[in-house]
Amino acid sequence: METVLLILHYAGLFLILLGSVFLFLGALGIYRMPDLYNRLQAGTKASTLGAMSTILGVGLIQPSWFIKLFIIVIFIALANPLSSHALARASYKAGVKPIITSDTDEYAAVADEAGRPKTEKNTQTL
Amino acid sequence: MIFIVFLVIMAVILIAAAVYSVVQKDLLYAVLGTGVVSLVLSVFFYLLQAPDVAITEAAIGIALTTIIFIITIRNTTRDEDKYSEDLINRFKPEEDA
Amino acid sequence: MLKKIFVLFLLTVTGVALWQSFRHAPFGENRVGDVENPETVSAFYLKHSPETLHTANSVTAIVVNFRGFDTLGEVTVLFLAATGLASILYRRKEDEEEEGGHLPVRVKLKSSTLVRTGAKILFPLILLLGIYVFVHGHLTPGGGFQGGAIIATGFLLMFITYKRFNVNHKIMVWLESLSGLAFVLIGLYGLVAYGSFLQNIPWTGRLNDLISGGLIPLIYIFIGIKVATELTNVLDTLMNTKPRKK
Repeated sequence: METVLLILHYAGLFLILLGSVFLFLGALGIYRMPDLYNRLQAGTKASTLGAMSTILGVGLIQPSWFIKLFIIVIFIALANPLSSHALARASYKAGVKPIITSDTDEYAAVADEAGRPKTEKNTQTL
Repeated sequence: MIFIVFLVIMAVILIAAAVYSVVQKDLLYAVLGTGVVSLVLSVFFYLLQAPDVAITEAAIGIALTTIIFIITIRNTTRDEDKYSEDLINRFKPEEDA
Repeated sequence: MLKKIFVLFLLTVTGVALWQSFRHAPFGENRVGDVENPETVSAFYLKHSPETLHTANSVTAIVVNFRGFDTLGEVTVLFLAATGLASILYRRKEDEEEEGGHLPVRVKLKSSTLVRTGAKILFPLILLLGIYVFVHGHLTPGGGFQGGAIIATGFLLMFITYKRFNVNHKIMVWLESLSGLAFVLIGLYGLVAYGSFLQNIPWTGRLNDLISGGLIPLIYIFIGIKVATELTNVLDTLMNTKPRKK
């Protein structure tokens, strides 16, 4: 029993370390990335994984809290990508352009159907 | 020690966000500044051992107050200068009379 | 010139009066007092909320029991604010029909399928969290106001995600009025039975039980329902207001 708890403790510490590294990388990505979409991607992916593994690590260190923390992890896994998806979609429809110009814009056809406002800014190649 | 350093950094962010939201002419950004103020404030309440107030501040300050202000801005004007111009025009005495 | 002198005179008088009245106030002294010292107010609360009321969260014991009358005032203030907002933004039906239908201009664009599905999954979870917070108000941090605000944010999520999500106004108003009435009736029961408004019943259960603290959880549940319905009504009124014509 003692050894199991000890192993869980060290696994939890490792998860917290991993989560901190991912959170740091997310912050670095938000600072270094050039435009909104890259920043959003870096921030969301890294911070989702970082927060989830940090919370799970705390749950492994304190096994009696595990169920509540697991519910929080599920909540983060649901809400975090959803909010960033909504942000990215809203900014695309508001006409925010990515910094790297390329000809492929697969969302444009779908977005026009959904009522994307046709302005001068939007009709340029993204 | 590191706790006090953390508190001081948070306080600086709090004051900076408050000043930003007062100075900013674009009302939407000003409202987002008040949201940041509420966020830092709720972390403060939690760290200073008032979790009840922290939950209230998180739910009401960050979510509800911000969204109510944003709805109000959507129904009125986003630019502060334009809003005051509108007000002046509305209450200006008519020149013909 | 005379005006300036008068202002200076007034300022001097105010300053002297303030200085005179606060000269002997012991600023910087510990007036909250020790927890161990039984004569201070905080020691009284900290001692009596676990021992006689059997509530684990002494903040709740202060808010609902020791200072219950103030809480009634707070709830009334919130009610007045919601009523005032509704009466300012009130619009007669005839006016709306003249302007062509009364479809609320809530969101212009349709939300994506992901957001709609996610909101549908998250909405009951948020409601559950809010109900948990105000049912466990006497055990864990939180309570009626916090739980009500959380429930209102859940409704807010549905309002901004779905174009046609409407709450039933009649049910909301009835719930709000009935819960407010129940709060006052509980207070009156204390007045009739034990001689003091909002007096708690003597049976308070065991510490850390879900059903403990006498009437405290009941009052907090009513406050939670009232705050949730009020804030939802405020959001609904604001969301359904049309933008000003340019």
